[in-house]
Amino acid sequence: MSAVLPKHIPVVREASPGLWALAWRRLRGDRVGMVSLAVVVAFLAMMLASYAGILAKDWNKERGVSYANPAFLAGAENLEAKEVTHKDFGTQAKPVDLSDIDPLAPRYKEWEERAAKIAVTEVKRAETLPFGGDKWGRDVLEKAIKGSEVSIFVGLTAALFATIIGTVLGALAGYWGGRVNDFLEWFYNIFTSIPYILLILAFAAVFKKGLDTIIVILALTGWTGIYRLVRAEYIKHCGREYVKAAQAIGASHFSRMFVHILPNASHVILVQLSQHVVGFIKAEVILSFLGLGVPVDMVSWGTMLAEAQNELVIGKWWQLVAAGASMAFLVTAFSMLTDSLRDALDPKLK
Amino acid sequence: MAAYVIRRLWQMIPTLAGVILLIFFLFNWVGGDPAQVLAGKISNPEQIANIRKQLGVDQPYWYQLWVFVQQVFTFDFGRSWSTNEEVSKILLTRVGPTLTIMVPVLVIETMLAVAFAIMVAYVRGSLTDRTIMVICTTAMSISFLVYIIFAQWLFGFKLGWFPVQGWSESFSRNLLTYAPLPVMLAIFVGLAPQLRLYRSFFLEEINQDYVRTARAKGLPEKKVMMKHVLRNALIPILTNIGIYLPGLFVGSFLLEVFFSIPGLGREIVTAVNRSDFPVIKAVTVYLAMLTMFINLLVDVLYKLVDPRVSFK
Amino acid sequence: MTTSEHLLQVQDLRVSFRVDKHNTFEAVKGISFDVPKNRTIALVGESGSGKSVSAMAILGLLPENARIPAASRALYGGEDLLKATPQRLQAIRGKDISVIFQEPMTSLNPVFPVGEQIGETLRLHMGLTARQAASRAVDLLAEVGIPNPALRVRSFPHELSGGQQQRVMIAMAIACEPKLLIADEPTTALDVTIQKQILELIAGLQEKHHMSVLFITHDLGVVGEIANHVVVMQNGVVQEQATVHAIFESPQHPYTKALLECRPRLDRRPKRLPVIDDFLKGTGAPRMEEQPRGVKEGDAVILEVKGLGKTFFLKEGLFGKRAVPAVKDVSFKLAKGKTLGLVGESGSGKTTVGLTLMRLHDATSGEVLFEGKNLLALSDREMMAYRRRIQIIFQNPYASLNPRFTIGNILTEPMKIHGIGANAEERVEMAFQLLKRVGLPEASYYKYPHEFSGGQRQRIAIARCLTMKPDVLICDESVSALDVSVQAQVLNLLQDLQEEFRLSYIFISHDLAVVKYISDQVMVMNQGEIVEIANSDEIYLDPKQEYTRKLLSSIPKGWDAARAA
Repeated sequence: MSAVLPKHIPVVREASPGLWALAWRRLRGDRVGMVSLAVVVAFLAMMLASYAGILAKDWNKERGVSYANPAFLAGAENLEAKEVTHKDFGTQAKPVDLSDIDPLAPRYKEWEERAAKIAVTEVKRAETLPFGGDKWGRDVLEKAIKGSEVSIFVGLTAALFATIIGTVLGALAGYWGGRVNDFLEWFYNIFTSIPYILLILAFAAVFKKGLDTIIVILALTGWTGIYRLVRAEYIKHCGREYVKAAQAIGASHFSRMFVHILPNASHVILVQLSQHVVGFIKAEVILSFLGLGVPVDMVSWGTMLAEAQNELVIGKWWQLVAAGASMAFLVTAFSMLTDSLRDALDPKLK
Repeated sequence: MAAYVIRRLWQMIPTLAGVILLIFFLFNWVGGDPAQVLAGKISNPEQIANIRKQLGVDQPYWYQLWVFVQQVFTFDFGRSWSTNEEVSKILLTRVGPTLTIMVPVLVIETMLAVAFAIMVAYVRGSLTDRTIMVICTTAMSISFLVYIIFAQWLFGFKLGWFPVQGWSESFSRNLLTYAPLPVMLAIFVGLAPQLRLYRSFFLEEINQDYVRTARAKGLPEKKVMMKHVLRNALIPILTNIGIYLPGLFVGSFLLEVFFSIPGLGREIVTAVNRSDFPVIKAVTVYLAMLTMFINLLVDVLYKLVDPRVSFK
Repeated sequence: MTTSEHLLQVQDLRVSFRVDKHNTFEAVKGISFDVPKNRTIALVGESGSGKSVSAMAILGLLPENARIPAASRALYGGEDLLKATPQRLQAIRGKDISVIFQEPMTSLNPVFPVGEQIGETLRLHMGLTARQAASRAVDLLAEVGIPNPALRVRSFPHELSGGQQQRVMIAMAIACEPKLLIADEPTTALDVTIQKQILELIAGLQEKHHMSVLFITHDLGVVGEIANHVVVMQNGVVQEQATVHAIFESPQHPYTKALLECRPRLDRRPKRLPVIDDFLKGTGAPRMEEQPRGVKEGDAVILEVKGLGKTFFLKEGLFGKRAVPAVKDVSFKLAKGKTLGLVGESGSGKTTVGLTLMRLHDATSGEVLFEGKNLLALSDREMMAYRRRIQIIFQNPYASLNPRFTIGNILTEPMKIHGIGANAEERVEMAFQLLKRVGLPEASYYKYPHEFSGGQRQRIAIARCLTMKPDVLICDESVSALDVSVQAQVLNLLQDLQEEFRLSYIFISHDLAVVKYISDQVMVMNQGEIVEIANSDEIYLDPKQEYTRKLLSSIPKGWDAARAA
């Protein structure tokens, strides 16, 4: 609301903190929360830089020898680098026989052909890379950065869509009650009577693979928890006297739903959003690992872990650590930020 | 009580109808013509023609829906598109291994989580409490995949304590030889989030007025926790187990995939990869039904822990 | 009482709470008082006075962030309870000193039968077996006056009424024959008729068991009936302590005087209630002429309610619905510029009447005639024009203002909706004037509700209604949540505004003294029906109905009654 001050009234506007300002003040006093926030912001900046092509632009270039050692292990023996040219690792190095269900199995050959093609044009391959190389000699660190771009993007957008769906439906059900509520509860019951994992897999079975698909799948299956909480929040607030007072002064339904109640439920929604980002990043990793996620020509933490499974057996641990650790780092920070947000936003604490 | 159960069963009908519609929408409308889905997967054109006829793809949608409904209620989803095995047989044979893994997981994990949670809640606010919470948060942030890959490599491959993977015909051998590593992994990974959740349940109860009354009576703090707080916290814990229970049958599909356990979870992942629609449809519909019955069961069990519940 | 030995001596008690890393809040600032043997001592104060905190500190029942300095002492038989080990405290709690709390519903464990909860204390402190404890529990329930005790021991708390729950709490507290019973606002959550019974029960038990009672309350009326000795607290310090006789007959401290005078009385109706400032400035209560109240034949009627009914439906059985009538066939007239008081106990339907007649609930039957138009028959669009003319002020000042709006937003929103004021500038100007009118600084305009106290928020809620220039104002328990000193200020404001704007009030309250003070006419409700309507003086002097008489006799008469006896 733009407050227009009549000139003759000599009132000095005092700085008066709203609830958001107070929450921010509390968050700033929370050291763990601020460090977590810094880490999350750093990851987001990395994602944007990677998207803009400033970072990890050439992640796909094969600049090192196969399974190049990390720089700090320069002296370690690297048998695979020498053998890779005339041995087929795709099948030999796999002690775990997953060929009938390993979604990547048919691709191994294709990748190798492509790798072979590019290898011709390659002039000189490095013996070591900062954090080691993968089978094709690509820099694992750059892969992890590029992978974070996909994983975080999927997590953020899917969580945003799921939150919007959950919030709108929850607000409608909680505010109107009656038949609207009955209908939406029916809808909710359908989605929740199918175990969550199964629901995701069922959606994944019928949609084509792709980045947009995985976002749609996660959003369409992940809204139920938010819906329930927002609905409960709306039911609670509809009984509050300030909403009754708004009705008494003649505020419209729209105004009561979105101008009066929504800001008061927003802390719940924000915490849910943050929680779902974490959950969806984890889900994306698993889906991509299963081959149901991002397309093969993209890299995400999940596809890196899929490769890492076989590398570990031959002692090449760096891809596992790079993908696992960068994800753990981000998710830990995000989870702690969520906890801090919950504390900071809780209006009970005042 | 009887009236309550009947009403709940009655209310299941629209939900079940909704589930059937959702699955029909996904697989017959979004999923489209099996001939296209299967192109390249099944070379035998006769078989494809059979499937098309069986589904009535040429028929209008209402007829296809009718076929689907019949399938649901006659327990006859035909044969798998990829292995030609009967779907009903696939389901029945895959449940055993999944439960062999998941039942021990559920029982041990719940007991451990409740025990640890009450201990942590007892020392709430202390350094121990905060340290455990930070460890939990960090442990939860590492991907399940990393745990599995690492543990399989370390305990199976490197140390050789457990078989890397496998399954047998003998139940006792499965339980004692093949199950322990996946079971321990599942418990290890599941414990952190459960512990955090149950701790919050206990803390919620500790702040209630009746706890102050118990203290005012002169009860020792341990008795307050083990009798008054625990008994009340069981109510949300039961709710949580109720949510968790239907997932039991899908199992930890990742574990099944990694350890080559022929369970439902692995079957579903395989079916999704092969676009084996009859299997996915059957699993989804029946698990949804099962979930509804489990929810009803849990709600009836509620009466045991919460005297305030009345079946009106 | 001069020679009686002291059971408990509290000396220089200080309690502070850690708010966050840098801030602590001192709730009790060095208080001292004694509890004599076999006496009832009342700790009186308004919210934030530190009375409950002091009592809980004695038993070590404070939350974990509380700190008590070493210099503070609570001597019980020569032993300092504040420094006792947890084991020692556990032995004393429930055995020597026991407590009953304000909210009996939440203070009992919902999942155990009440007999078990009483028996637990007996097994713990008296070493009784389960069987002995169970049979003793039956005796105790009988002693606190619960009918059918042998059956009731197996009941769960939610199966009992609020009054019965509090009786169970009392049974639990007296089970081990304690020497001191701490009663922390034990009747505040109860209806006035139940309050009277519980007070009589506590007084009877005190005498019978020769215990001391530390009675914590905000209500001086109750104190006069039950206490021998009174400690008056304000903001964490003791302002005055004396015998009950001295407190009521010759109060020394201005705060005590203010507490005694601010509360409306049944026998007098000054034009304005004295407020706390009158006493703190030392001027004392100004002499006020009496305000005549009442409605005469032929007074103009602004609102007429005919046969109003409201039924709620609960789902039951397979397809069944159970009808729960909340309001049954209520008819009354509201005279212009007058106040109609609406009294009743909880569940009497008085609030539902208010909400239904302004269409915040849908009525099941009846008519609400406002200037001859039936409001219940209007469409939503037609109703808009009438909405602003009937407004409501709710009970809970903490819930009735949107916490995310500034006061400016709160005040200008209704003006915008109803097109009051030509432009934004004019509306802001009006908001400033109204803030001034209800006694708040203009700078409040930019603040948020959480920066105001309960009384100030209620003023804001009043200002919000006034922006729409209403004709009828419904006050739904609007002063019930406020401390007496603040209550008096808000009541004075409401009276002033009534005169200034010729407002008509429907004043809903469970507090008969307040209703009697502010109303021209009083309507008594019970179980959804009207029991009696009459001019307020008539109904208090000469109640026609049995239920009205019962309600009136339950009002704590305070010191007057004790003195008369």
